[in-house]
Amino acid sequence: MSDLASKLAVLRRQAGIAAPQGSPARPAPTGSGVPGQAGQATAWWEPTVSAKGARDTPTRPPDLATLRRMAGVRERLAQPRAPLRAHTRDVPGDELSPGLRYLEQRFAWAEPPAELDLSFAKLTTARREQFLHFDTETTGLAGGTGTRAFMIGAADWHDGALRVRQLYITAMAAEAAMLREFARWIEPETVLVSYNGKSYDAPLLATRYRLARLPNPLPGRAHVDLLHPMRRRYRQVWENCKMQTAERKLLRIVREDDLPGSEAPRAWLTYLRGGSSANLVRVAEHNLQDVRSLSGLLVEAHGWAAMDGAAVSPPGYEK
Amino acid sequence: MAAYLQALRTDEADSVLATHHDGRTLAHRLTDKYGDRVCSAFTVFGREGSFAPLPDDLPTGLAQALGARGIDRLYSHQQEAWDAARAGRHVLVATPTASGKTLCYTMPVLASVLEAGAKALYLFPTKALAQDQVAELLDINRAGDLGVKAFTFDGDTPGDARQAIRQHGDVVVSNPDMLHQAVLPHHTKWAQFFENLRYVVIDEIHTYRGVFGSHLANVLRRLKRICAFYGVRPQFVLCSATIGNATEHAQALIEDEVVTIARSGAPSGDKHVLLWNPPVINPDLGLRASARSQTNLIARVAIKAKMKTLVFAQSRLMVEVLTKYLKDVFDHDTRKPARIRAYRGGYLPTERREVEREMRAGNVDGIVSTSALELGVDIGSLDAVVLNGYPGSIAATWQRFGRAGRRQQPSLGVLVATSAPLDQYLMRHPAFLTEASPEHARIQPDQPLILLDHIRCAAFELPFATGDAFGPDDAEPYLRVLAESEVLHNEGDRWEWIADSYPANAVSLRSVADGNFVVVDRTEGRQTIIAEVDYSAAALTLYEGAIHMIQSVPYQVEKLDWEGRKAYCTRTRVDYYTDAIDYTKLKELECFDGGKSGEGSARHGEVHVVRRVSGYKKIRYYTHENIGYGPVNLPDQELHSTAVWWQLPQTVLDEAFRSRQHALDGFLGAAYAVHIAAVVAVMAEPRDLQKAVGSGDGVWSAQVDASGRGQVRAPDGDLALPDTLERFLPTVYLYDNFPGGVGLSEPLFRRAPELLRHALATVEGCDCKAGCPACVGPVLAADEGREETPRALASRVLRLLGADA
Repeated sequence: MSDLASKLAVLRRQAGIAAPQGSPARPAPTGSGVPGQAGQATAWWEPTVSAKGARDTPTRPPDLATLRRMAGVRERLAQPRAPLRAHTRDVPGDELSPGLRYLEQRFAWAEPPAELDLSFAKLTTARREQFLHFDTETTGLAGGTGTRAFMIGAADWHDGALRVRQLYITAMAAEAAMLREFARWIEPETVLVSYNGKSYDAPLLATRYRLARLPNPLPGRAHVDLLHPMRRRYRQVWENCKMQTAERKLLRIVREDDLPGSEAPRAWLTYLRGGSSANLVRVAEHNLQDVRSLSGLLVEAHGWAAMDGAAVSPPGYEK
Repeated sequence: MAAYLQALRTDEADSVLATHHDGRTLAHRLTDKYGDRVCSAFTVFGREGSFAPLPDDLPTGLAQALGARGIDRLYSHQQEAWDAARAGRHVLVATPTASGKTLCYTMPVLASVLEAGAKALYLFPTKALAQDQVAELLDINRAGDLGVKAFTFDGDTPGDARQAIRQHGDVVVSNPDMLHQAVLPHHTKWAQFFENLRYVVIDEIHTYRGVFGSHLANVLRRLKRICAFYGVRPQFVLCSATIGNATEHAQALIEDEVVTIARSGAPSGDKHVLLWNPPVINPDLGLRASARSQTNLIARVAIKAKMKTLVFAQSRLMVEVLTKYLKDVFDHDTRKPARIRAYRGGYLPTERREVEREMRAGNVDGIVSTSALELGVDIGSLDAVVLNGYPGSIAATWQRFGRAGRRQQPSLGVLVATSAPLDQYLMRHPAFLTEASPEHARIQPDQPLILLDHIRCAAFELPFATGDAFGPDDAEPYLRVLAESEVLHNEGDRWEWIADSYPANAVSLRSVADGNFVVVDRTEGRQTIIAEVDYSAAALTLYEGAIHMIQSVPYQVEKLDWEGRKAYCTRTRVDYYTDAIDYTKLKELECFDGGKSGEGSARHGEVHVVRRVSGYKKIRYYTHENIGYGPVNLPDQELHSTAVWWQLPQTVLDEAFRSRQHALDGFLGAAYAVHIAAVVAVMAEPRDLQKAVGSGDGVWSAQVDASGRGQVRAPDGDLALPDTLERFLPTVYLYDNFPGGVGLSEPLFRRAPELLRHALATVEGCDCKAGCPACVGPVLAADEGREETPRALASRVLRLLGADA
């Protein structure tokens, strides 16, 4: 990357820093000087104390090749890059604004109860139109300010069907538009429904809204996180309480050709970097199933109160 | 216990004593009696206090709280700090130890909390100091019923407490590592805190030197970046011990102007300092009594004279040995509370807190400590400080002496020389201590690899825009490198974090490895954790067979579970302690670049540094005879790093030197001189850039032994004679003391000719006769008459490597 190196050199020259990289041609002292005595001998190594402090600039990035090599000593993790194959760049949905895409689908649904009993979540009741089942797909699990959601899916009961709306971004710059659009879907009386969303999706979105300097629509809304009631009820029963276990046991849904959630970051990044959109499409399908299942699991949990009243053993107890 | 009875019977201490002494009278008494051992005696005169009333604009509640704690006026420097902070300036307080620096920042911080609901962040280098600070804040808070919430936030803070601290903490007391790894990468969770952040207090800034300091400066750049995002520009209040360049150092850390307050208004008594050389016990061999015996004597005298005494030892082992000797005299009645306590890293936090409390309460007469008490841990006031050996820097020496001195009372400070060449040099040239300037703290925050690490972390925290600077530099070349490695994504003029990783976890601010070892006591079926030992010290102190002492109570390590980080031991009664034998050697792994250097070569590349504990010695108490060896079988401490090195071919050496021993001494001296030049050239801390002399093929390594001569260690860890080696290819290495290297040695290779020239100028232009700490390393008096002096040998090596004066 010698163009970078030369660019760096230009930057340094502009900044008025004399020593060109790669060259040992600092003004060399004459040999007779004794360090400690005043004179040129000390000039090169004593820091020139500027108003800014004791820091001097004796070493400068010599060139980026060196920098890379030095960094490489630490990492030594040269990962082979996958060769580029012929690929599709088609992405589903409509473009709402540059880089922000929108997908909407409706699913017929056996009439859900008009009002759901939320006693399982230590809440009272809510009308079915109030619920917004949501799930995000993110760039990773590392946490902190460096992880973002690139896709938000939400399902609600609308006009006699389960409406699933999905937003995703194909450019980083579209994130704020996505966050703004999602905020529009949330009303004061909205009840959020998620799986582990209180610990994961909601804090992550809070961080994103904060970084985008946008008001966060989530605080103040009732939030039913289905993970906790599932855990309370089935911890001793199932091998684990992951969402896909719950949907298999309770809704009898088995996913086929599902892209594991852990693959989602790579699928999006591949597309973002000019690669194939094939897996991104599968991420959207995965997300779609997630929010559909949420709505089913909510109805299931609503039924627990009546069922427990009738002292029937919980379904899914099939060991 | 015959040895201990003998020690009691022949206690020289008794004959010195009248009943009661202070620093002045005891210094005179010691000088009278041991005139031949006192090389130099001088007095640092105390000063009258200079006071100021409490400021008018101090909030009433705070004034009352201070009043309730007995503070009804300020020292002049505290008032200056108040004025500067209230004027919105960044403040540096660089007054001596125990001058009340804490109040300099407590007042403005608490005032801003009370007046404006502002928040403050405190950073301390250690958890212990942070906990002290919170205890202090809570005391003031209680005294005035102020309602200020102060919390520590460190690795031990439980998860559920963290959220409360983020939301409700007025003063959050933490450390740079937590800021770097836990706060900044989660800044959105701290939004409320940052939006109201008014003060950032950084204490003990003299500890942030070298690579650690360079890291901190970059963490502060990131902090300022986050603050800018939340629209605040906090004021910094910094405190430093006495170093040669406190103001410049403070400004380099925060990259802004500071108001320096260096004149203390705290009253102090005269300090009587003695430089003490142990007596010659074998005139034929020039052997002196041990420093340990003399330290023990002086401490006994001082404690018997009813002076509260603090002894500083150079190692944890020496702390325990000295504690035992003093306990044998003062604590043989176990029914009474202990008068002598040890204090060092590696004790459990609860034990350290308890010792601190006992010391503050005045229940302890003698304390033996490592450098752990050099920092501002509050232990109350003391009358005498004894240093068992020179701490290695002028600044640390005065910092330690500063621990003694109650208001206006004369105090005593004694530096006892060991037989190490540097200590002996000091005894011959006491002016080195009194006249040379204290060491400078240097940092180099724009070192490329450090910068790359922090730009990586900063990009995770907030995206960069093209043209953004980080520090003084344009960040773009670094952003490009990061984008190439696919951790950043460049879109338009934005550089956004894209990887699924948490970069701060991969960047450690300190070179120490993680993973404490716990020491488990299994005596009589117990399962009690009695100590924690950090990773770097484990191999030296927890090998199987080791006697591990806690408050000088001996436990023997029976089993070491290296993987599980546990050492199992039982209480034992033995009349010896153990001391590990360890050495370091280097091997070249890959040469990046190289070339001729005079008759030899200079190269730069990757090296493998191995530190091995090969065995241990059993040493009997009091007689200090070596009563046996034991083998140690532990994994080597390995480090892959980058280095620059020089070597000369065997034929050249054979021609130029009378013997291999001469050549080896020359290499060791040259290494010392080149290291001095290099440390200054790249502004490193000596601990960050290490020097070593060894064989080019990694077969043997060489050190300077106690007599100032080069000593070769063969692969099996035994001593060898240079003449018996099959191949003799001595090599001078300078290497980065960090895993993977931090980029210190690479510029040294590019500047190798200059470096050698300056090393040679240093050696040949030095005023000394045969060698001294300023050129090739200290030499013993006996060597000053050597026919070929270490200085001459070193300069010959440097000239052969192509240096010309």
